[in-house]
Amino acid sequence: MTEVLQLIISGAIQGMIYALIAFGYNLTFSTSKTINFSLGQIVMLGGVVGYILYIDMQTGHLKGLPFVVPLLGVLVIGTLAGALVHKTAVEPSLKFKSEYTWILATLAVGIIIKNGVEQLWSTGDYKMISPLGDEVIRIGGIGVYAQEILIVVVSLGIVCGVEMFKRRTIYGKAIQAVSEDKATASLMGIPEKFVITVSFMMSACIAAIAGLLVAPLTFVSASMGMVLGIKAYSVSIIGGLESGYGPLVGGLILGISETLTARYISTGYKEMPGFIILIVVILFKPNGLFGKKIIKKV
Amino acid sequence: MKRNVILASLICLAMIGCSKKSDDIKIGVYGPFSGGSAPMGVSMRNGAKIAVEEINAAGGVLGKKLALVDRDDEAKNERGGQIMQELLDKENVVAVLGPANTGVANASTQYTQQKKVPQIINVAAGAKVNEFFATNPENYIFRIAASDDIQSKVIVGQALKRGAKKVALLCDDTNYGQNGREKMEAVLASAGVKPVYVGKFKIKDTDMTAQLQEAKAAGADVILAYGIGPELAAVSNSMDRISWKVPMIGSWTLSMSNYTTNAGKNGNGTMMPQTFIEANAQTPKQQQFLKTYQEKFKESPISSAVSAAQGYDSVYLLKLAIEQAGNTEGTAIKNALENLNASYEGLTGNYTKPFSSTDHEAIKEANVTLGMVQDGKIISSGN
Repeated sequence: MTEVLQLIISGAIQGMIYALIAFGYNLTFSTSKTINFSLGQIVMLGGVVGYILYIDMQTGHLKGLPFVVPLLGVLVIGTLAGALVHKTAVEPSLKFKSEYTWILATLAVGIIIKNGVEQLWSTGDYKMISPLGDEVIRIGGIGVYAQEILIVVVSLGIVCGVEMFKRRTIYGKAIQAVSEDKATASLMGIPEKFVITVSFMMSACIAAIAGLLVAPLTFVSASMGMVLGIKAYSVSIIGGLESGYGPLVGGLILGISETLTARYISTGYKEMPGFIILIVVILFKPNGLFGKKIIKKV
Repeated sequence: MKRNVILASLICLAMIGCSKKSDDIKIGVYGPFSGGSAPMGVSMRNGAKIAVEEINAAGGVLGKKLALVDRDDEAKNERGGQIMQELLDKENVVAVLGPANTGVANASTQYTQQKKVPQIINVAAGAKVNEFFATNPENYIFRIAASDDIQSKVIVGQALKRGAKKVALLCDDTNYGQNGREKMEAVLASAGVKPVYVGKFKIKDTDMTAQLQEAKAAGADVILAYGIGPELAAVSNSMDRISWKVPMIGSWTLSMSNYTTNAGKNGNGTMMPQTFIEANAQTPKQQQFLKTYQEKFKESPISSAVSAAQGYDSVYLLKLAIEQAGNTEGTAIKNALENLNASYEGLTGNYTKPFSSTDHEAIKEANVTLGMVQDGKIISSGN
């Protein structure tokens, strides 16, 4: 029994990370109807910047700076990256009224970020030390890292916080208005462009924080964001790109299905059920499990 | 007309410029100098550099100086082939040393073979070497590294010696890991043991809970692992997470710095076959090498001491062969390597006739000792 619980908890924690990044995809999609495909690389950027500010690369020991420093650094780099992606990749292609240029443009930004980090920083794998220590905490035979508890708390906090902000505050309502109907929102005096930029910044910030959070569990490297970005995208689709809490459910489904398959079927098929679910969801509920049905009137 | 004359004289000048440099004996070195395998490649190149400097300071080979031409293969198979063609066709090297990755080696050794240029593989354990004899009686590929055959024998032998009854295998899904798994399974089968669990993991996997739980459920009393540093560290860390502790014995790569630092205290007690153990350096030659390495590259412990030592030894074996051949022609060097008159006291062992015309493996089971991780360092496990 503890074994199954351990697997479910490991999977759920992995799922929370996917959910957090997926939430980032959803944020920009709801305002601009575009998806920032460089988000996985921004996750990596967060991990790398956090590592550089927190740990001495030569010795692998702590630099002695309080954890606030890497946290602030990651927030700054996330905001900048979000603004950059929007300014260089998304805005121009929307201006040209091109439907799909942003797909390639955001992917390109991601490749540039990854190669830049490889060139300027390193291509190696490094160990990030968790600010809460690397000891395993045991609760009734189940081993959990303090960092993992932090991941769950922060992820839930961010998702609920942003959803509350969107539903309760006037600024949040402005975001929702833009996502409902850009033209009308603009007529009502909402600075539509600014709202979209802010949503990109928020989304990238969340991704960068996700990178900082997972860094102690994975290794920090220029390639750490690749797989996370792809899996989070399928979580977005499963949960519904228009939905706020959908990514949480999608993330849990993907994360738990991965660990259970690895244990009871084969480690080689670990990723299979997640993508099967993805295909099934696309076939039967194209807007995701929690997506709103959009009726396009022509 | 005038332009032609100028052009012709420029070309002449360029040719003189080139021929000036070709006084040196060029040796190609390739390996992963970046990425997860970098500790192996960089240490190997550093070891080779030290050997070349020593040889040049002592007057070089055949009155000429040795020059290393190094290229980063990034541990990518396709880069291996490209680099090899560049080394052979553009740089005209007389011999090639390296690489570190099995896949890269297998994708590039055909070129040295075709060009009849001897190559000494000094790190890659799974690459084909003696296998070439079947199709190519004139084999130009040599190795000074513990092959997967020897490693799997040592690993399995150690496990059985420690009284392991239920063996679990855990290997990565690359050429290297799966090749190792096959060999370990074969050795186990010859001892009449069937593994209770055979699992695999992918490069960049960081959570091995599922695999380990399955091994634990199968009642495994030892884990035999084959992979590279970061993922092997993840195996050790996940074992700690599910608070399960059985001995882990695995490929020599467990001595890489990216295993020892990433696994931390969870790595203590892990054992692996080694050809050179830094903490165990006894001969004056080994101690001198470590001193030079530290002064020159400011690194202690060496991030992959085995690779450094094998890199160093490969240069010396090549030097002896060139001296014996009396020229730098590929076939002559190859024949000299197969029938080396001088014996060589190296870092990884003493070599008298390391190669023959039917066996191109310098490292035999007797050269291999068992290393153990303790507090981030590799020590001799004592047996």
